[in-house]
Amino acid sequence: MSRALALRLEPYLYAAPSLLLIAAIMLVPLVTGLSYAFHDLILLDPLSGDFVGLDHFREMLDDDGFWTALRNTVVWTAVSVALQFGFGLILALLLDRPFPGRGLVQALVFLPWAVPGFLSGLTWAWLFNPVIGPLPHWLHGLGLLATPENILSDPHLALWGPIAANVWWGIPFFAITLLAALQSIPKDIYEAAAMDGAGPLLRFRRVTLPLLAPTIAITVMLRTVWVANFAELIVVMTKGGPADATQILSSYIFTLAFQRLDFGYASAVAAVLLVLLLAYAAAVMVLRHAMTERA
Amino acid sequence: MATITLSNLSKDYGGGPVLRGIDLEIREGEFVALMGPSGCGKSTLLRLIAGLEEPSGGEIRIDGRRVNEVAPKDRDLAMVFQSYALYPHMTVRENMSFALKQRRLPQAEITRAVEGAAAKLGLTNLLERKPKALSGGQRQRVAMGRAIVRNPKAFLFDEPLSNLDARLREQMRYEIRKLHRELGATSVYVTHDQVEAMTMADRIVALNDGAIQQVGAPQELYDQPANLFVAGFLGSPPMNFVDATLAPDGALVAEGQTLARVSPPAGLAAGTTLTLGLRPERLALTDPTKGSAVRVDVVETTGTGRVVHLALGPQRLKLFTMDPRPLAPGDVVGLVVPPGAPLLFDPVSGARLS
Repeated sequence: MSRALALRLEPYLYAAPSLLLIAAIMLVPLVTGLSYAFHDLILLDPLSGDFVGLDHFREMLDDDGFWTALRNTVVWTAVSVALQFGFGLILALLLDRPFPGRGLVQALVFLPWAVPGFLSGLTWAWLFNPVIGPLPHWLHGLGLLATPENILSDPHLALWGPIAANVWWGIPFFAITLLAALQSIPKDIYEAAAMDGAGPLLRFRRVTLPLLAPTIAITVMLRTVWVANFAELIVVMTKGGPADATQILSSYIFTLAFQRLDFGYASAVAAVLLVLLLAYAAAVMVLRHAMTERA
Repeated sequence: MATITLSNLSKDYGGGPVLRGIDLEIREGEFVALMGPSGCGKSTLLRLIAGLEEPSGGEIRIDGRRVNEVAPKDRDLAMVFQSYALYPHMTVRENMSFALKQRRLPQAEITRAVEGAAAKLGLTNLLERKPKALSGGQRQRVAMGRAIVRNPKAFLFDEPLSNLDARLREQMRYEIRKLHRELGATSVYVTHDQVEAMTMADRIVALNDGAIQQVGAPQELYDQPANLFVAGFLGSPPMNFVDATLAPDGALVAEGQTLARVSPPAGLAAGTTLTLGLRPERLALTDPTKGSAVRVDVVETTGTGRVVHLALGPQRLKLFTMDPRPLAPGDVVGLVVPPGAPLLFDPVSGARLS
C-alpha cells in the first residue's frame, strides 16, 4: 500500500470503529425492521415471509383502525403536550420565587417523574374506576358527567383517561427544564424592565417568554416525539379499547404485533409513524433555525 | 429633574442593619456619588431609591412626594446597571425604545428620541445589532442610551464603569460627566472607586458600615475629612497615619522626632496620643540634618514623580515627590512636614480633631 493512500485512509480508519458500532446497534435493527414492512410476516404462520412490496401500505389506506389511531395520535399528543407544557410552566414560575420550604416542595413536585409509566397507568385506571376511585364522583359532582361512570369504558371519552395520566406524569419534565431556564435569566434584566416601566405581566411577555423560547422549542419537540411514541399508559389503562377507540399508532402497532402477531403489517405502520415523526422533527428544526437566525 | 430626599432611612434584611439613619438631600440637577467599600450599603441605598428594595424604616421623597410604596415603574427614574442588564433578545434600537413603548408614545417620537440619543452616544451604526454583537464599551453606551431616551426625573448609576478597562473607564467618566452637564439631570452614582467619585461628583456621600460618614464637595472631603475612614479612602497613594504624642509646646512627636508643630486644639492635654494624618504629596524631602531623619525603604517611579516609602522607626510612611535627588533604599533623608499639612485624629473614635 502506498504511503499516500495510507495517509488518505487514516482519518477513515480512526473513525471506522465508531461508525461500525453505530451501524451495528442503530442501522441494522432499523433496516431489518423496515424490511419487515415489505414482507408478509405472521409469527404463527410458517408459510409466511414472502416479499409483498407495497401491499401493506395499500392495505393501510382502507384500514379504519389505522386512521382512527392516526387521528387519536394527533389528539393524544397535542393535548398531552399542551397541558404538560402549560402546567409545567406555571409550576416552574411558582417554584422560581423563594418561599419557605421550597426545596421540599420542589422535590415533591418532581416525584411523578420517578413513577414508572405503567404504575401510574394502573393508579389512574383505579382512580377512574367508580367502584374504588373518586374521580367519576367528582366529575359527576362538578356536572361534567351525567352519571358517575367509568370514562375508560366510554368510546367517546376513554382517551381522556390516559391523557389525564400522561399530563400528571409529564408535568415535572417541563417544570424541571423550564425552571432551570428561568433561573438562568439574570435578575437584573427584570429589574431593568421594572425601571423601564413594565409591570409583571409585561415583564413576563416581553422578557421571560422570549428568553425561554429556545428551551421551549427544544423541549416541546422532544416531548412531542416522545409522547407520540408513548403507548404504555394506553396499553395499561384501556388496551386501546373500547373497540379500538383509544388506539394511537404506537399502541396499535403493539396490538398488531403482539396480539394479532402480524409483524409485517405492524412494521409497515411503524414505518409510517417513523416518517411522520421525522417530518415533524425536521419541520421544528427548520423553524428553530429560522428563529435563531432572526435572533 | 427632581429633588430626592431621604430621611432617617434604614434597611435591615434580618441580619442586622445594612443601612441606618440615612439623611440626605440630593438637589435638583446635582451629581452625587455614593462612595464606599464593598458591603458599605451604597448599592442597597441606590436600590431603595429605585424602588427595587423596600426600606425597613424612614422615608424617601421625590420632589416632595413620598414614594416608599410606589412601584419602581411608577417612580420615573432610570437606572444604569453594573452588568448593563440589556435585553439580550432585542436589538439596540429595541432596547432603547422599550421604556418609551410602555408609555405608548407615537412611533415617530420614539424613533426621534432613540436616534437622537444614539447620535449623542455614537451608537447610530449599531442600532440594529443585538447586545451580544457589541463590545463592553458599546454595551455600556447602550445602557446609558436606554436611560437618557426616557428623560427621567433622575439617573441612578450602579457602578456602571467597573466592567470596563482602565482607558475606556476614563473616557466614559468624561462622557458621563459631559452628558450630565448637557442634560442637567439629577444623578446618583454608586462607586467604590474614589477616583470616579472625586472626578465626577458635585458632592460625595462617603458611606461605611451602613452609615453616612461625610457629605461634601470632593475637595472638601479630601482636605477636611471628617474621620479616619474618609481620610484613608480618598487619595492615591492614601494618606499616611502616624501615631504621635502632643508635647506641651504643640510639637507632634513620633518615634522621638518632632514632625511638626501645631497650636494645640482646645481641650487637648499635653501628652495625648493622636493619629496624625499626612497626605503623601504634602510631604517634602530635605537633607537629614534639616528635617526629621527617616530611612528610605522602597522607591517607586510613577512617571510624574516618585512614591518613596519611608521608615520612621517601626512606622511606615509614603511620600510623593517630584524632587529629582538620587534616592536609594537604605539612605537616610530628612522629612519636612509643612505647617498646615498634618490633620489630627482621635485614635479611638477616629474623628478629626483639628
